[in-house]
Amino acid sequence: MSSRMKRIYEWFDRRFNISPLIAEAQRSVNFALPSSLTRQNRSKIFWFGYPFYYAGSIVAFLAILQGITGLLLAFHYVPSAVGDPGTPTQAYVSVQNIMKFIPLGALIRGIHQWGANLLVAALVIHAFWAFFRSPYRIGREISWLLGVISLGLALAYSFSGYLLPWDQLGYWAATISVQIMRSIPVLGDLIAQILLGGTSLSALTLTRMYFYHVSLLPVVAIILVGAHIVLVVLQGVSEPEEAWKPATSQGETGKQSGPLFGPFMPHQIAPVLILCLVTLGIVLLLGAYAVQMPGDPANKFLTPQFIAPEWYFLWAYGLLKWVGWAYEAVHFVPPATVFGVDLLSAKVVGILLAAAMFLVFLLMPLIDRGREVRVLRRPIKTAFGVWAIGFLSALTLYALNEILSASLSIRIDTMNLFLGLIVIVAPLAAAIPFYVILSSQVKETSAKEA
Amino acid sequence: MTEKTSDRVEKKPRIRMDRRRFVQTVVSLGIVGTLVSFLSLLVSLLPSAGAGEELGNVDNVFKYGPEKGTWYSDRSGTDVKLEDFDQVGKGASVIWRGRFPAILIRVDESKVQGATPTSGLIAFASSCTHLCCISTWHLDRPNEDVLFCRCHDGVFDPYNIVKDVMLNGTEYLGAKVIAGPPPRAAPIIPIEITDGKVAGVVGDLGLYDYCG
Repeated sequence: MSSRMKRIYEWFDRRFNISPLIAEAQRSVNFALPSSLTRQNRSKIFWFGYPFYYAGSIVAFLAILQGITGLLLAFHYVPSAVGDPGTPTQAYVSVQNIMKFIPLGALIRGIHQWGANLLVAALVIHAFWAFFRSPYRIGREISWLLGVISLGLALAYSFSGYLLPWDQLGYWAATISVQIMRSIPVLGDLIAQILLGGTSLSALTLTRMYFYHVSLLPVVAIILVGAHIVLVVLQGVSEPEEAWKPATSQGETGKQSGPLFGPFMPHQIAPVLILCLVTLGIVLLLGAYAVQMPGDPANKFLTPQFIAPEWYFLWAYGLLKWVGWAYEAVHFVPPATVFGVDLLSAKVVGILLAAAMFLVFLLMPLIDRGREVRVLRRPIKTAFGVWAIGFLSALTLYALNEILSASLSIRIDTMNLFLGLIVIVAPLAAAIPFYVILSSQVKETSAKEA
Repeated sequence: MTEKTSDRVEKKPRIRMDRRRFVQTVVSLGIVGTLVSFLSLLVSLLPSAGAGEELGNVDNVFKYGPEKGTWYSDRSGTDVKLEDFDQVGKGASVIWRGRFPAILIRVDESKVQGATPTSGLIAFASSCTHLCCISTWHLDRPNEDVLFCRCHDGVFDPYNIVKDVMLNGTEYLGAKVIAGPPPRAAPIIPIEITDGKVAGVVGDLGLYDYCG
């Protein structure tokens, strides 16, 4: 440090007492990571694994990018949806302005739009990666809970953001979500009124959504995601599978000997930076060349022909359609009311199924208390994970039934039958072999050990 | 003097709270009470009473809806006239009282089961009873005489009028669900015709409020 730098440093240190903080920060960035990762950095094949290992840091990077672009957009966006149905509202016009007249406005909005998509994609990878690798063992449950809640926050972010241009797509996607929310037994209407300022979309709803998007959610997200990251620093990264020795012929398993942990700085920061730069490149390209203009202004009297939520909500959309199809297929007519609410109607069953899936995911640390972390040694859990991925993908496909049937010119009934069966069969077809093979392997190993 | 002292000694076990403890308790209760009373402010999150109510004079005549590329596109927003519906199967999406989307159809009167059309016309609220998308007539399924909801493929049969019960308990007549997820029939809006204009008859307006 040059003497001038030193003087500046001392000036700050005397006033803010920063040296303990800096010492702590230095200690933190040197937090230990499994050295197996460091070793693997040297092998070329491991590069393919990078996006999975470091999906979390891509999420963090994109979140910062979203914050910056969102801040810039907020200078021009007008959150007002007052106006006749089908006419451009101030919100709609201001987004048009950003796209057409504000210097670099289209690029900024493009980055924000694609950043959101990639953020959710990275988050989904991060979540499933974590699911399979069971990092939520004793002592790390809070990290997991915070992470799953943050996933919910990201979805809330994108839901509120999707509505802001007040165009047809956003309006109708939100309408459906609101009606889904309303059909939650007993509490639905109250929740809708509190969250949206009414039981249907109105100008009030946009005000609330804007408030959530730019004010409430950022505060909550910074606290929860901040805690999630701080916990990683405090507890260190969960030891991945590679830190475990493969079973020897004597059946000996356990952690590898030798130095298990290496410092974050500089070994892990390099791949993180590389990945962030690659991500930035992708976002810039997509934002510059593939930005989506808002559609027609929202009209509450006219549902557009093909409506679909954003890709990461398609599974839920598909689930609602699919339950309806399944009811029809088995000629089940749900009773109008059970306990005074339409408990067995397709939409309520759909909601309850989705909620149950989310709950299982959230409570994984309580459900899965096994000590084994190796993916290939966990037949039930790994098979369940494969089933879940298959189920969500198949539902996503089912959500596109109208579009698929129109573009492939297949009758809609045939398409529904085909896709409906895929939803049932494909996830099982993927999961059962996993279970059979893995459990036989586990039996073999334990037989050897015995 | 001695008596008083002995009194104090006797009473002492009954004094459970010394001054320090008393202040602690009062201050803690005060803090908790303040926090709890602040929670009551959350009531303000509910929308104000009267929000969304109809203001001023709302007329009952149907107005043509905003669909593009239909025979009524150029009349969007104008009064619906009986003479426009000159053949069986002709239908239009219309708006009633400025807030209820509906579908008005000229039907073959002899085929309608369960209700009597007015001058051959019949109208249904077109907000789907499933998740409130707007159903269409002959737009998505041009060759089928059904109300079709684009969002989740709900199909209603305007020729088959059945009794149903809204979630709020109101009994009503509506177009039967013949496919898809909608849980109940699409409610009929009774029609009257005055001076050649087609209007809805105001009965229980709350029935049509199922979409909020």
